[in-house]
Amino acid sequence: MKDWQPKILAFLCNWCSYAGADLAGVSRIQYPPNIRVVRIPCSGRVNPIFVLKSLQNGFDGVLVSGCHPGDCHYISGNYVARRKFAVLKSLLEFVGVEPGRVQFSWVSAGEGEKFAEVVTKVTEDIRKLGPATRLVKNAVSAGAEA
Amino acid sequence: MSKPLKLEKKRFGEFVDVLLSRYWVFGPVEVDGVARFRRIESADALKPGFPGTVESPKGVFFPQMETMLTGDRNEAASTSGPEEPIAIVGARPCDARALLMLDRVFGTGERTDPYWTRRYRDALVVVAGCTEPMAGCFCNWLGSGPFGRTGADIMLTDTGDAFVVEACSEKGSGFLEQAKGLSLSEASGEDQSKAEGVRSAAESAMPEKTDVSSLKEILDRSWDSPLWDRLAERCLSCAACAYLCPTCHCFDIQDEKLPGTGRYRRIRIWDSCMAPLFTKEASGHNPRPAGRERLRQRVMHKFNYFVEACNETACVGCGRCVRSCPVNIDIREVLAEFVNAG
Amino acid sequence: MAGVEQALRETARELLREGKVGTIIGYVRGSTPFRSTPAFIENEEEADRLVFDVTCGSNLARYVRNHGRDGRVAIVAKGCDGRAVVQYLSEGQLKRDDVLIVGVPCTGVLDHGKVSRLVRNRNVTGFREENGKLVFEGDGFEVTADREDVLADSCLRCRYPNPPVHDVFLDEPAEAAPDGLHWQELEKFEQMAAQERWAFFEKEFARCIRCYACRNACPMCYCEECFVDQSDPQWIGKGIDPSDTMLFHLVRALHTAGRCVECGACERACPLGIRLDLLNSKLEREVHDRFGYTPGTDPDETPAMATYDEEDKQEFML
Repeated sequence: MKDWQPKILAFLCNWCSYAGADLAGVSRIQYPPNIRVVRIPCSGRVNPIFVLKSLQNGFDGVLVSGCHPGDCHYISGNYVARRKFAVLKSLLEFVGVEPGRVQFSWVSAGEGEKFAEVVTKVTEDIRKLGPATRLVKNAVSAGAEA
Repeated sequence: MSKPLKLEKKRFGEFVDVLLSRYWVFGPVEVDGVARFRRIESADALKPGFPGTVESPKGVFFPQMETMLTGDRNEAASTSGPEEPIAIVGARPCDARALLMLDRVFGTGERTDPYWTRRYRDALVVVAGCTEPMAGCFCNWLGSGPFGRTGADIMLTDTGDAFVVEACSEKGSGFLEQAKGLSLSEASGEDQSKAEGVRSAAESAMPEKTDVSSLKEILDRSWDSPLWDRLAERCLSCAACAYLCPTCHCFDIQDEKLPGTGRYRRIRIWDSCMAPLFTKEASGHNPRPAGRERLRQRVMHKFNYFVEACNETACVGCGRCVRSCPVNIDIREVLAEFVNAG
Repeated sequence: MAGVEQALRETARELLREGKVGTIIGYVRGSTPFRSTPAFIENEEEADRLVFDVTCGSNLARYVRNHGRDGRVAIVAKGCDGRAVVQYLSEGQLKRDDVLIVGVPCTGVLDHGKVSRLVRNRNVTGFREENGKLVFEGDGFEVTADREDVLADSCLRCRYPNPPVHDVFLDEPAEAAPDGLHWQELEKFEQMAAQERWAFFEKEFARCIRCYACRNACPMCYCEECFVDQSDPQWIGKGIDPSDTMLFHLVRALHTAGRCVECGACERACPLGIRLDLLNSKLEREVHDRFGYTPGTDPDETPAMATYDEEDKQEFML
């Protein structure tokens, strides 16, 4: 479809990235409107299955963003998350899901500009990849009957 | 029944072509190194070797996942069944018998299951008799055999370069008599005695039979037997035996969203009493909390409850569970232990 | 191997006689010559049934965790099973005193599915090792196979044939596969293009029947309630929709990341012979390379995914 727009789910940690997104907003910084935001208390709250289910449900990409290492509001949530993200990313790439579809960033509460840059980059990466087809659950993949 | 006929193996493709012109045809085909029952759309997809399959053909009539209806917030519509009646070629006698047993469950009585009947009622079951038993086979314990005809419409006996083809039902003889272009000739006396030879050789090759005629009564008084604990210790409580079994038929029904469409589908999917949550109740109580209770349930269902309710054993001795159990729990040993313990 | 079996039975008898353990978890002959089955040996007479050879394919460690018996148990542990027990210690599932580890050297186990396919499901009445090959015989047939064709895939690349922690070790330690062989298959696989890798897994998982034999055979899958069984929320569909099946395998691999001891029990348990072990192998490599951790080798080490290092590499972060 020529008017396809990437649909990206963004998990933003409350204390840093969400605030950073908010700062981008009040500063009137323009960035692509393709993300849908889910506010989470900490990047460590992200269960890898959230990312996989997002792709299953039809999102073309997922962004997870949290506080910079050392700045986590809960001290170590983002360190734990970092290990989870590394493992998740390597598994997705291993099975052949395009690496650009799932991305991770550190954006602080004062980084409105950076947030806009991250979203712009991720949106463009996914626009180039096209609609997600792997992992999507749709009627076409509806099981082995007859 | 009509006279025995002969089909040369080199003309097997023509036989399949005739089936394809009238039916959706299913048979055992190699898919990525594993033989599975699949729908075939051309005769050369099905070779007359009929490899033994890990899974049973029950999925042809009772799919592991079947969409019952689809809908949205305003309305729903039932799915339709196969456009043509189904023919299955290369099922084994045990599998055919099992399908008939499943028909007891789904296709007879006051209420029948339309999702089953729309597939099985008009189906043609072409059975390939077993010229030798596979490891784990014990159909002869349960009143069947390598050339048993229960549930079959047509029986194929492999005599080397040909099959002797015999009708086992009205449906079978109807097909053999009316279908044009089947490339069948009358089986000569020599063909028939060759077939008889193959059959008796197969019967003698069957493993020694354990007498399980009193098993139902023995199980009646074995509820608290320590044998259940001994068995359950090894059992992984997976569903491999149940899903591969040609007679297991428990299922679940779920509604699922179809993402991004605003629609949902209602699916029926296989389930297994071996799964830990099978009997978990909304209160949180689970009457079969441990492997011991679940394994007992499975064995009792097949060899006691079903016998009580329907006067037949819900096991056809196909041996699939024996071959595939990850920890080598062998139902033959289980049955023998109960019989010996009396 | 006959020496190991003899020593095993003697050791078992002694342990039971001296009351050091109440139960020995080991293998006994299965219902066909190329299989064995787990057994719980409780007295000296039964100890003679214990076997240890190439047929011992199950992972016994999982039975150590909730055997339901009083007191201490012993486990006949080949390398991978022994690693699983060590990982239980790391994860606080057992106390060291709960289990007595009888180590045995392993030179690989048969994948019974491969054997069945090799003999085309015919009844095997005997098998023997001859000139480094394995010969399976039955009524009217004999099939010879190279070890590589019938041993489990995980065994062909095994680095830990002997349990790293043990109370008793029988016979001479077995040799590990040559260094570098372990990751060879993985490296070859990673050279394939992304679409090819996706196509490979799509094809493998197309025959998954969601029996969960893989999960239940795995010593590390011991959650009281597995994510596939949760209904509130329901994480994945219970049917065989390819998307749900892929998610099951991906999430299970993630849940066992940094915990998998590469015993291959999952792959051997699969009735359809699916290569799901490749996912686990990949994650074990990742955890090894990034975090320098190998599960099941040091009971005092904290599992990699349960901790962090401030200096962890983050080249993938934006």
